Amino acid sequence: MIENWSAGRLARVVSMLFVAAIFLVPIAGFVAMAFRSNDGVEAGSGGFLGLGDIAWSNVRYSWSQVNGFGPEGGLFTRWLTNSLIVAGGGAILAVVAALPAGYAMARLRFRARRAVLLITLVTMVMPNTVLVIPLFLEVNAVGAVGQLWPVALIMGFFPFGVYLSYIHYLTTMPKELVEAARLDGLGEVSVFWWIGLRISKQVVVLVAFFAFVANWTNFFLPLALLSSNQQNQTVSIGLQQLIGASPLFNPTVAAGLDVKLYMPQLALATFISMLPLLAVFLGAQRFLIRGETVGAVKG
Amino acid sequence: MTTALMDERSTGLQVPSTRRPKASRSSETRGAWLLLSPYAVLLLVGGIVPVGYAVKTALEKPPTPLDPSTGFGGVTSFKTVFTDYRFVDTFQNVLATLVIWLPIMMIGIVGLALLIHASPGRFGSAMRFVYYIPGALAGIANFVLWVYLLNPGQSPIEGLWHAIGVDTIKQAVAAPGQLPFVLTAMMFFQGVGSWIVVVNGGLNGIPDEIFEAAALDGANAWQLAWHVKLPIIRPWIGYAALMNLAYGFQLFLEPQLLDQVASNALPDQWTPTQLGYAFAFSNYNFPAAAAMSLILLVITLGIGLLIVFRSGLFGEEDS
Repeated sequence: MIENWSAGRLARVVSMLFVAAIFLVPIAGFVAMAFRSNDGVEAGSGGFLGLGDIAWSNVRYSWSQVNGFGPEGGLFTRWLTNSLIVAGGGAILAVVAALPAGYAMARLRFRARRAVLLITLVTMVMPNTVLVIPLFLEVNAVGAVGQLWPVALIMGFFPFGVYLSYIHYLTTMPKELVEAARLDGLGEVSVFWWIGLRISKQVVVLVAFFAFVANWTNFFLPLALLSSNQQNQTVSIGLQQLIGASPLFNPTVAAGLDVKLYMPQLALATFISMLPLLAVFLGAQRFLIRGETVGAVKG
Repeated sequence: MTTALMDERSTGLQVPSTRRPKASRSSETRGAWLLLSPYAVLLLVGGIVPVGYAVKTALEKPPTPLDPSTGFGGVTSFKTVFTDYRFVDTFQNVLATLVIWLPIMMIGIVGLALLIHASPGRFGSAMRFVYYIPGALAGIANFVLWVYLLNPGQSPIEGLWHAIGVDTIKQAVAAPGQLPFVLTAMMFFQGVGSWIVVVNGGLNGIPDEIFEAAALDGANAWQLAWHVKLPIIRPWIGYAALMNLAYGFQLFLEPQLLDQVASNALPDQWTPTQLGYAFAFSNYNFPAAAAMSLILLVITLGIGLLIVFRSGLFGEEDS
């Protein structure tokens, strides 16, 4: 690389690397924490970020503590399963609802089209937490608080997925194609079913990915709907319980427990709770690169 | 590379314009509603019914031990909320956080996106990926990471904490006036990366001819960024600012859990969402909880409508 390094260029590269370090060093230290021992952390051994303190035996001990939590133990595994059920179920529902809706809004004319599109856009950009207490009241009214299915159902309402599908059909399915299919005698639903769905692999992956990530990391909805039933909690609110049972922050509660949850155990539990996200990211990666739509899911 | 938002901008919200006979229009309408029906059901269950039910609940009177009956209560619950001693404080807290967080966030997003855009090739895209990584640690995971950073006992920035006289996590978060700064750091770390990707997508959509013209006029990198790129990506900046503004009003997890790790040294209801949660789950005053969420709903709905109609990203002819 023989280019001249002007002062401005040097300043740009140095400041970008500096910001990168601010982001990466804490994460590296936190991941390392999941592999460290309580004694090592207490003594501050292991050198830079405690990297010298890393050992597989620490992970085995920490896992026994994390998964030993609960009246009979195994609660953490149970939470992970629950998260898979609601996040996966919600993502499937989101895909099933978003694709036909996005297609209809992009390629069919009907009177309420603008209204549906407007509602979708507005609900998409609003933070979803504002609806949590009304949703709790609704679920409470039908007596289903503490059960998993209402959470999955509510997570299936994913306007961002509808918007993604809408854009997808606007850009990939020409009007002429729809017209031609109609002339061939296909009904509206058949056009979607036989032609629309054929060109939908990209958007299925995108909607499923964004919905799964949003559902997996959702905290407030499961907190309001599932807190009352310890067996049915998700891992996001379960982690909160682990923090609350740590001798670091709540010695009195922790004293009554068989397991000891110090920072390495909390970091390991968090690290494990992130692995499904890593897996879906790797699976969806080559589809994500094509559309830079990541940020719009925030909020 | 274009973003979905850009596609929307260029295609707008136009209705397909070919004219078709009336009979096939009605079959088109039928088909549309058939295709929309799963989404319509979820929209009802997950959006419209709960809002309607919250309006109904907010207009009821809460049962008390002396008078366990419920029934129409008019605006009593709104009065309960407005006159609650914590109500004004919670909004002041959110504003105090927004005043610090929003400018830092916007400067970070725009500055880093411009830096990445000025760095073509592998270095730029590698940095964009690195900045995005913390965004993957959403919600509770980001929180546990910050407990690790904030707790001087084992923090990698332990030296820094001791230098400013902080020995416990309680001191780190509960010192007077400290919380907005702690929240700013947490939310910046978690949120900046995905917004950099969005704004960077806007920058990538600028046609090369514009840069060539600017280069012919003798613009240097600074002038290019300030006079050419910034004005063009204004819609994305406005979009990011409004989305983050709305995000401020939903703050819940961070203050709620920081209180838990700081031996309850923080106010229990520090944000409006926490107050609504307390109405529902501590006082079991569902009408007041519903009223509180409706107030927040109106605020964020207003911001949401501004985004859709005024950011310029979702089709101008609707404004």
